[in-house]
Amino acid sequence: MLTVSPVTKSFGANRALDDVSLDVATGEIVAIVGENGAGKTTLMRIVAGELAPDSGSVTLEGSVAMVHQHFMLVNELTIAENLALALPPFGFATRQSVEKLAEAAIAASGIELVDVRRRVGELSVGEKSKLELIKAIARKPRLLVLDEPTSVLTPNESEELFRVIRALAAGGTAIVFISHKLPEVLAIAQRIVVMRGGRVVAESAANALDATKLADAMVVRRAAPAPPPARSIGDEVLRRDDLAVRSGEIVAIIGVAGNGQAELAESLRELPLPRRASFIPEDRTRDGLVAEMSIAENIALSESRWRPREATQRAARLIETYAIRAQSAAQPAGSLSGGNQQKVILARELDRKPLLLVAAEPTRGLDIESTRFVHDELRIAAAHGSAVLLITSDLDEAFALADALHVIYRGRLSARLSPVEAAERAPALMAGVVTQ
Amino acid sequence: MIDVIAQALPLAVVASTPLLLAVEGETVVERSGIINLGIEGMMLTGAMTAVIAAQLTGSTVAGFAGGIAGALFIGALFGLFTIVRRADQIVTGTAINLLALGLTGFAWRELEQRALFTRGVPRITFDVIVPFAWIIVPIALALMLWNTSFGLRLRACGENPEAVTASGASVDAHRWIALIIESVLAGIGGAYLALALSSGFAENMTAGRGFIALSIVIFGRWKLKGALLGTAVFGATAAIQYALQATSRGVPFHLLLAAPYIVTLLILCGIAGRVRAPESLGK
Amino acid sequence: MKRILIAIAAGTAAILLVGLAGAATGHRDLLLILLRGSLGSQFAIEGTLLKTVPLLLTGSSVALAFRAGVWNIGGEGQFIAGALAAFIASPFGVIAALLAAMLAGALWASIASLMRLWRNAPEVLTTILLNFIALHLLGWCVNGPLQEPNGQYPQSDTARAALPSIASTELHAGIVLAVVAAIAAWFLLYRTAEGLRLRATGLNPHAARNAGVNVPAQIVRAMALSGATAGLGGGIELLGVTHRLFEGFASGYGYSGIAVALLAGLHPLATIASSTFFGALVTGAGELQRSANISAQVATLGQALVILALALFGRYRAHD
Repeated sequence: MLTVSPVTKSFGANRALDDVSLDVATGEIVAIVGENGAGKTTLMRIVAGELAPDSGSVTLEGSVAMVHQHFMLVNELTIAENLALALPPFGFATRQSVEKLAEAAIAASGIELVDVRRRVGELSVGEKSKLELIKAIARKPRLLVLDEPTSVLTPNESEELFRVIRALAAGGTAIVFISHKLPEVLAIAQRIVVMRGGRVVAESAANALDATKLADAMVVRRAAPAPPPARSIGDEVLRRDDLAVRSGEIVAIIGVAGNGQAELAESLRELPLPRRASFIPEDRTRDGLVAEMSIAENIALSESRWRPREATQRAARLIETYAIRAQSAAQPAGSLSGGNQQKVILARELDRKPLLLVAAEPTRGLDIESTRFVHDELRIAAAHGSAVLLITSDLDEAFALADALHVIYRGRLSARLSPVEAAERAPALMAGVVTQ
Repeated sequence: MIDVIAQALPLAVVASTPLLLAVEGETVVERSGIINLGIEGMMLTGAMTAVIAAQLTGSTVAGFAGGIAGALFIGALFGLFTIVRRADQIVTGTAINLLALGLTGFAWRELEQRALFTRGVPRITFDVIVPFAWIIVPIALALMLWNTSFGLRLRACGENPEAVTASGASVDAHRWIALIIESVLAGIGGAYLALALSSGFAENMTAGRGFIALSIVIFGRWKLKGALLGTAVFGATAAIQYALQATSRGVPFHLLLAAPYIVTLLILCGIAGRVRAPESLGK
Repeated sequence: MKRILIAIAAGTAAILLVGLAGAATGHRDLLLILLRGSLGSQFAIEGTLLKTVPLLLTGSSVALAFRAGVWNIGGEGQFIAGALAAFIASPFGVIAALLAAMLAGALWASIASLMRLWRNAPEVLTTILLNFIALHLLGWCVNGPLQEPNGQYPQSDTARAALPSIASTELHAGIVLAVVAAIAAWFLLYRTAEGLRLRATGLNPHAARNAGVNVPAQIVRAMALSGATAGLGGGIELLGVTHRLFEGFASGYGYSGIAVALLAGLHPLATIASSTFFGALVTGAGELQRSANISAQVATLGQALVILALALFGRYRAHD
């Protein structure tokens, strides 16, 4: 019922999808797996008609509904009103009749969600994601696309979701769901499509695969990291409850995106930190650089003094040192590629020789070369005595860099784990299957 | 002094009717996520076009139609800049006010000199606008906002337009309709000001009513009940001030006039109760 | 460079449209009278420069605030606050009066920025409300405590200090102060770390914060600076031109400052040119009303057309 004939899509210089084809039959449950940045969400947004492909075409019989990773809800409205927004226009209705309509839609979806008069802003993330699902189902789509639907659900809620998915598929709805949790993919999907670097690299019936084979197909094998420079561990620079980072060490916080990483990074800013504390922000385009200002001005922002000429000279030196691809220090920062913007941020923060460096998803969306560069710089910073806290959802990155790890799940940190312990326990901790 | 105040209040209801219409319109528009600073210019233009239409035809009904047409023109201009061109709403609103002030000031003086009008400005004989503004419009708008799927979507446009787009509806279409509703109400308000409360047009005759309306929308917490209450409070303060000014000396009238603004300021700071502007207002 | 061309195009388009409006109503010579009335004689030029001074200060005030991403629509109120303070402090001399004007403008503006920080009250709305409060405060003063002793008109007595006038002209020292203030605003924005942080705050407060800028404090300081500049404008207008307070004292200078700043692309040095342009427009329009009986509101029309033309040419935001 869905045919994607080879589509290609680029964002600037970055090719997000490269000749990707996909077929989905009525009533089929297909999982699309892959690492961050493999092109899964882009492909599905093209299927849902939210993005236009550069080339190729999508043929779809019937309607499609997509549940996004971030919520498309109106916090100030009630559950009932949010559902009514998703339903066909009803003309005139009293509040009671809207609530009845909503309750009927919830009952029909088979998902449990009580008291439709509650304001959506007051709901938990789990409840919000249920509401998103009910909204999608209420539109009676022939194809339902779910983007990482279980990332914020408890194990029980995930089970409930799977029951609903199976029931929908039995009723003839095709389901495509994006995930990177292999056990659940194997449990629910009939067919699994593996994506890597914008391409489909493997495709097979679920019962012909096991978790190890899947993981092999999914993850790019990378060369073993260079042995880190010798570091001496010094005094504690940051401590909050169980979380402690000492000078010269790299501590990683790993977890599935949306488990309170942003809140953690935010709360660290409130602590009494050393004056030379640097933050590499997660949302680079929003929090990283002032796009309209020059590279030199952006670098000078963290200085107490500013002399335009000195700032330009310093920026030119940093452009050289950090191999930033820029024409001059006067170039607007916003005109740089993502990787080079990240280099500017790193250059600015590392040049201050920070006592503490908190880096959130420092390589998200970067190409392999830039990623390696960022990793090397973090190691060098630690070797020079910085205490480095790395918050990442990229496990490879965490294991390649960290001396110790914590897992974050629903806003709570696990105990401090050594890399060996983490390798064994992280999957269970990240999925919330075991607690402490 | 009490009887002076008591006499002033019924007059206040009539005198603040144009203000109320503007408040009702601005409430709807702000609920859809647009802040229209240009409502002052909308009323002012409506007042002038109403007088022109009424004098040309000799009919007050035509006058009101003219007022609505003038305000719709300003509304279309505002929408063209802010909805179509996505120009800044604050900047556009400010420009619209200056435009209306300049255009009506210039045009009216030209018209007066030509003595084009052979008859005087017709006056309203049977006043339907007061009950219309104080009873019919608030009920109709409240029903629309809270009991129709159009109103639901309109409110969602003011909170999270992305969610409206995701549901397949057009945010721009909803904002245009809100703007049209506001224009019609502001046009009627301007016409009433010129045809019922005054005997014709005068330069800058709205005298800041649009800005006062913006304040009352906050005072009323973006609700129609609040719009009625807020207009009554602001209107009564002004009426009492005039009544006292005429009869007794030594009362600080001007400080009394400032009081409702101070209260609105306190409301904005959440000191006088919880208030929350629509999330996407002005964005 | 491109910005300057856009600004010139917008100014020209506005003037041509005004001329067109004149031609359509049978005043073919409208633009000529406008030119003669604003630049045609020494008297006209002096008039233009006198109008330029308050516009330059309210324009710089708006530029400073908008650059920091703060919507200060309250120039009118800060202008009045400055004039009131200058009047009260005038017995202590011109310098004391001007300092008081700046302080009062800064404090009046700070009410709005503190309310934004404390309660997240949008300054667009609070500054408008503060304009009304200042207006009524002024109304009370000139009808009550500050009314002239004989109590004949709702106006104050003559201020006890005045700005020195320049040679044998109508001009006063305020014009020098205004130009110095605009240059100081430019120096602050483009040559100091404070200005760098202020601009970064306006362009992207998130990134500024991440780079170590204390954004709330930055906003408070920017707003205070903006208010002080508008307040200075009020003080200079009182001590140099009107010498008395009365109800219509501010006569829209605060709102016109928005047009001045936008035409200048929010650049303080360019406000010198744009305020002169608008000063000439206002003065020329006065002559239109006197000699040709054309409404002086033509100047307001011109301001509106400039802003609208700019909004059409470029996408105008405070964070530009």
